[in-house]
Amino acid sequence: MEQDNNRSEERELRAVLAQASQPQLPAGAADRLMARIAAEPQAGRVIAFAPRAKAQRPFWRYAAAVPLAASLALGVWLGANGRMDFMMPNAVTGGVALNDDTPVDDLGGVGAAYAEESTT
Amino acid sequence: MTTEPSAFRQMTDAGLLAAAAAGSHAGFAEIVSRHYQPVYRLVWRMTNGGADAEDVAQEAFVKLWKNPAQVREAGALKGWLMRVAANAVVDRSRKPRAGALEEAPEVIDPTARPDAPLARAQAARLVDRRIAELPERQRLALSLVYFEGMTNIEAAAVLEVSVDALESLLARARRGLKDSLSAEWRDLLGGLAETGQ
Repeated sequence: MEQDNNRSEERELRAVLAQASQPQLPAGAADRLMARIAAEPQAGRVIAFAPRAKAQRPFWRYAAAVPLAASLALGVWLGANGRMDFMMPNAVTGGVALNDDTPVDDLGGVGAAYAEESTT
Repeated sequence: MTTEPSAFRQMTDAGLLAAAAAGSHAGFAEIVSRHYQPVYRLVWRMTNGGADAEDVAQEAFVKLWKNPAQVREAGALKGWLMRVAANAVVDRSRKPRAGALEEAPEVIDPTARPDAPLARAQAARLVDRRIAELPERQRLALSLVYFEGMTNIEAAAVLEVSVDALESLLARARRGLKDSLSAEWRDLLGGLAETGQ
């Protein structure tokens, strides 16, 4: 019953709407459109990627480099004049490392063995 | 190698879009001949018969020409054009219009009797006016389904809403139209019977 009513209402509505104007394209509309199209360039098929804007680096970003550079310079200076040698291992700063005149056996003992052999 | 214009008539919308993307004016002209009329009709109804209906309908096609690849589903080209045109109407509706039905003076037939069934032109004008008074989205839904013969699914895609939402818009449009035409409803149906339709 309700469906029949709906169908009847729908039919009536369509009948009423059928009386509305049926606009037609104005004469020459397609030609005018194509003339406009002829004047319009198509978008390129290559997508242009705009370079990313360079981020502004804040000045204080470089402030951390100052104490680092100062620390490096101090280290070099202290190392060069030997004032901090007492803190270093003896093997690095002691007499053996710095003043030993004994020839170094680069051959790891083979040289000495060879020398002994040649004397006999 | 160039394609004959007659060959474009055999092509699907997908083929025509590919041709248009390659810069073929003849291919695009076939798209225009297929879809300009329904797009124009929709815009005409949405702009209440505004003088700028042609300009607005053109905008949809110019947008398509500039980048045919933006239509992802070639099978839904008509729906895409309808959506772009409807959006263009909405954009323009914020600007003052000239020559719209709403502002046009009503033409009164001096020979018409008050109790006579509505004359055809008068009835058309009345129905146009009442449709024009519907809210924009209801008018769009009504135009797509009843005037352009789209299915609810197609119309919902154009409006970018669910089918349920579209049916709700249609129901409100039907009710609104029937209420606003309640005084003339029988006359309109009677006039129809008289014209033998």
